[in-house]
Amino acid sequence: MQIDITPGDVTVAAISGSVDSLTAEQLMQALGKAVSDNQVRLVADFSEVVYTSSAGLRALLATLKDARRQGGDFRLAGVQPAVLRVLELSGFTSILKLYGDVGSAVASFDAELQ
Amino acid sequence: MTPPPSAKARKRIALVIGSGSVKCAAAIGIQSVLKREGFELDMVVGCSAGAIYAAVMAAGHDAALAAEMTKRLWTKEVANRRNTRALLQTVAPRWLRFDKATFGLRDDRVILQRLKSVFGDMRIEDLPTPLHIAATDLANGEQVVLSSGPVVDAVRASIALPFAFSPWRIGDKLLIDGFLSDPMPIGVAIRQGANVIVAAGFESPYQSSIHSAGRFAFQLSAIMSNNLFKSNYAFHSLAHHSEIIPIIPRFEERVRLFDTDKIPYIIEAGERAAEEQLPYLRALMQQSEEPAEHA
Repeated sequence: MQIDITPGDVTVAAISGSVDSLTAEQLMQALGKAVSDNQVRLVADFSEVVYTSSAGLRALLATLKDARRQGGDFRLAGVQPAVLRVLELSGFTSILKLYGDVGSAVASFDAELQ
Repeated sequence: MTPPPSAKARKRIALVIGSGSVKCAAAIGIQSVLKREGFELDMVVGCSAGAIYAAVMAAGHDAALAAEMTKRLWTKEVANRRNTRALLQTVAPRWLRFDKATFGLRDDRVILQRLKSVFGDMRIEDLPTPLHIAATDLANGEQVVLSSGPVVDAVRASIALPFAFSPWRIGDKLLIDGFLSDPMPIGVAIRQGANVIVAAGFESPYQSSIHSAGRFAFQLSAIMSNNLFKSNYAFHSLAHHSEIIPIIPRFEERVRLFDTDKIPYIIEAGERAAEEQLPYLRALMQQSEEPAEHA
């Protein structure tokens, strides 16, 4: 798994590969650091994520709770069908905001400020 | 007592087969891929139709035989014969003395006979692979896990589809279909100490048209079952300390309740879905059980 974080008003984390038991810790640390650096408006670009498992879900939930606890949010963009299926089955689509692409996800934060 | 280091290092694998009628045959494909790759199952868990497949696998039958046995077992004939008394009881419950223990609109003699022909006097505790079958207590809706006793009784209880087949008594409990408490009983595998849980689950299909009370009931059942499936899956995914690998086969063709002629196709779909998870499963099994997983 690769994580490439671009800080900004809305921080974008481009993730590629699998979010699973082997990589979840790395993801949590990277996103956790962003949140602790006050980058609490976070978008994860999931367009290159091919798989997520229960460990991945736990990492996403931990990040979501961290970001919201500090007044921000954690949103996903470009989720691919196989990953979307797992998010739907686990009910995550009812608590996470999903967008078709990064631009829409970033714009959703800006829209809320207006 | 602290287990020895070698026991700590080895991850225990469970295959969980949820409800899903004939679609559960996909588990045969999953099992054969796991076996081919040398992943030995430490336990098999099943409910509803998944209990049939779980029991066949735990008994040690290979994929071809398992397919053949389940094909013989699950055909339209098992639900062909009506239970007229139960039907009349729905109209005149007092007059005909409605009895919850025997209420089922389909006569269960054929399915019972077939279960006996496949499993005979086998007992769960004697099977080569540990087996846990989940059913539901009619009195309070709680999940009841059957880990010993006659296989036939456990499977019959777990497939007691409401309205279709009557509940099944084991001990002092009247048991009904396992899907009513959890359509994909991952929690059983967690409780039994599994680390890596390969979970084959199937959502109930929704009705394409609803033009009878029966279809209306099926639709309600599917809605409740699917919502329960999702909420339990979410809870177990977040609660488990290690890994749950969902294997949700994709079926391009519609698979109906008794489409046993589609079993080879369903098994292939299970194989394909399992193949997709193999690289990850291999990497996961090579990794020792470490605290780092406590995400």
